[in-house]
Amino acid sequence: MTTKPSGTVAGSEPATARRWRSRRRPSASRKLRRAGWLMVAPALGHSILWIAIPVLATLVLSFTDYRVISAPRWVGLDNYIEIWNDAVFRKATWNTIVYTFFTVPVSMAVAVVIAVLLNQRIVGRTLYRAAFFLPHVTATVAIAMVWLWMYNPQYGLLNGLLSIVGLPGQVWLGNPDWALWSVIIVGIWQGIGIKMLIYLAALQNIDPNLYEAASIDGASKIQQFFSVTLPMLKPATFFVFVVSIIGAFQVFDQIYVLTDGGPANATTMMTYEVYRSAFQNFRMGMACAQSVVLFAFLIVLTVVNRRLTGGDDT
Amino acid sequence: MTSWTRRGAAALLAAATTSLVLAACGDDSETSSENGSGDGQVSGELTVLTPIFEGAEGKALLEEELLPQFYEQYPDVTVTVDYTDYGSLNEKLTTAVASGLVPDVMMMGVGWIEAFAENGILADLGELGITVDDLSEDFTPEILAGGVWQDDLYAIPIMLDTRFGIARKDLLAEAGFDEPPSSLEELREYAIALTERDSGGQLQRAGFDMLSMDLRQMYEVFLFAHGGSLFSEDFTEPTFNSPEGVAALQYLVDLMHEDRVEDIGFSSTDIDVHPLLNDRAAMAVGHNNLWIQLQEAAPELADQLVPFTITGSEPGMFFGGTLATVSAGSDHPEAAAALVEFLTGPEAALGANEQRGNVPARTELLDSEYVQNNPLVQFAMENLEIAQREGGVPQWLEIRGDFTPAIEAALLGEKTPQQALDDLAGEAREAMAR
Repeated sequence: MTTKPSGTVAGSEPATARRWRSRRRPSASRKLRRAGWLMVAPALGHSILWIAIPVLATLVLSFTDYRVISAPRWVGLDNYIEIWNDAVFRKATWNTIVYTFFTVPVSMAVAVVIAVLLNQRIVGRTLYRAAFFLPHVTATVAIAMVWLWMYNPQYGLLNGLLSIVGLPGQVWLGNPDWALWSVIIVGIWQGIGIKMLIYLAALQNIDPNLYEAASIDGASKIQQFFSVTLPMLKPATFFVFVVSIIGAFQVFDQIYVLTDGGPANATTMMTYEVYRSAFQNFRMGMACAQSVVLFAFLIVLTVVNRRLTGGDDT
Repeated sequence: MTSWTRRGAAALLAAATTSLVLAACGDDSETSSENGSGDGQVSGELTVLTPIFEGAEGKALLEEELLPQFYEQYPDVTVTVDYTDYGSLNEKLTTAVASGLVPDVMMMGVGWIEAFAENGILADLGELGITVDDLSEDFTPEILAGGVWQDDLYAIPIMLDTRFGIARKDLLAEAGFDEPPSSLEELREYAIALTERDSGGQLQRAGFDMLSMDLRQMYEVFLFAHGGSLFSEDFTEPTFNSPEGVAALQYLVDLMHEDRVEDIGFSSTDIDVHPLLNDRAAMAVGHNNLWIQLQEAAPELADQLVPFTITGSEPGMFFGGTLATVSAGSDHPEAAAALVEFLTGPEAALGANEQRGNVPARTELLDSEYVQNNPLVQFAMENLEIAQREGGVPQWLEIRGDFTPAIEAALLGEKTPQQALDDLAGEAREAMAR
């Protein structure tokens, strides 16, 4: 038998009375727990309704032949086998990897340089920041229309510039050798703004004393950039890298407007194939399976990236 | 009562409340409208999904001119219109079917009916009192067949989109040709003669423009002209990779690469002004609605455009179009059928065709003022007996999406015509086997 600090003897109170009291007067921790559940309920409900259930439904439907206009039919791994053997989806996967491989590092490198420049006290700094951020907040369809004009073989700006220096014009979006690179350039240009903004915020959190100390030690501005700025931007870089890869793998609207995946599937991407399966071919089951493959790619890339950066994102 | 019992009761109460709220928010058509007044007059609230009647002009035509006439006939019917375009029609229909909110009346294209009828989305119009026999005097058999699946009528045509050859008479005359080409050999000869390049080899004028038209539909014109077909007569096997189909694609590849009558990238389906209207092409595979663009962009060329059939072993002409259907799940099938009959009737169909520059599906409209004043539409109507459609199998919507990349691959030299069409036929067979 143990004695409580208050002097009551444990076990002397009838069990029913204890239960009744606990129901009538919730303890502070239980109240706190209830309040906590109440607080997270909207977010939890949202997550279950709009994330967990659709993800689960996508996974289940990926094992079916679901045409929307007819009931789903269980086909096991058939969709995945078809994806494995599908030359067009393989091409889309390769295109997506190439697109990501070039747009993400290039736009990150450009963004960090611009962020460092715009972190200096220069005239019109706010204007420049807004200008670089503008492509991110402009509708991709509008951006793509402008680029369509720039890439136009007859009237476009690019061929106009080439003709000034005596070079032959190109069919930028109609030639399979150029089309993907043309799309990549748009992707790089459009992605700089948001990355620059994140880097700018991170730069402003770097302790000025670090630069002062480096300067006293005789470090040049370039040495300071590589020895102070870049290491201190590591958490931001991890975040930008992961988000950019996910964003690049989800590229869709500029393909939809600029090329429709052509010519001859030269610019088709994984997301565009998902769209084609779902809304052009009415094969929702296949589209779900392709989405699962895309999801798996992103998970693997994120884990690899985390390992490569030492798992330190704080 | 234990805490679990209380929780269970609370959950039950919450579920009941939710059900009541959802029921209150749900479709009230069952209670708010009737399926017919019982005196032969139909009634109900109808929803319509349409890719035609687009833009402010189309909307005004439908809602301010046509529907008021329908309401005069059927005062107890109300119509809510959902406008879209053919580019978004797939998405609209897919989401409508998936959500169970299928519009009562849907307009869709030639080649679409088979899939939707096969899967029970469309109502058999015969059960609503409209049969093929009733319409056989108003439409040619091939056009009416676009709305038939397994001998039952599921859709009635409103308008046709036809593709055929169009030439610039003035440019032909400059090159010494009095008439448009009458054979594939002549077409090649004329196209070569009419092609113009600058001293640097840059194409200035395509002798024959193939790229302003959707590549699948452009190819189909040549497939039909070579005596080929998309599928076997019983629609069990793709036949576009037959020798005729391969010859058709080889002909196009040769025009592009050997004869160099047009360069890749010279034109596209996104162009604002068709190359025939700004002297950038002398001949082309064109659409009948080019006449509307001509009236806006180059009315001075009205006497210079001349249509012609692209003729190989037989004349080749392609037609697509828009048909009206009734949903099998409509709460008001009689009212929906009445609306379909009205919209496909002579007066409404004529207005819709005039607004889009299209070809009326009803043969009686050949004599209308609109058709007689539009040379391209008139040409199409006078040659409807040679026009062939696409589709025929329920998987067509899936198969057709693979056509353009296959044609592109051949035109770009990435695959031979035989390889491109064989690969495409393989994909078609897989789709048809699923």
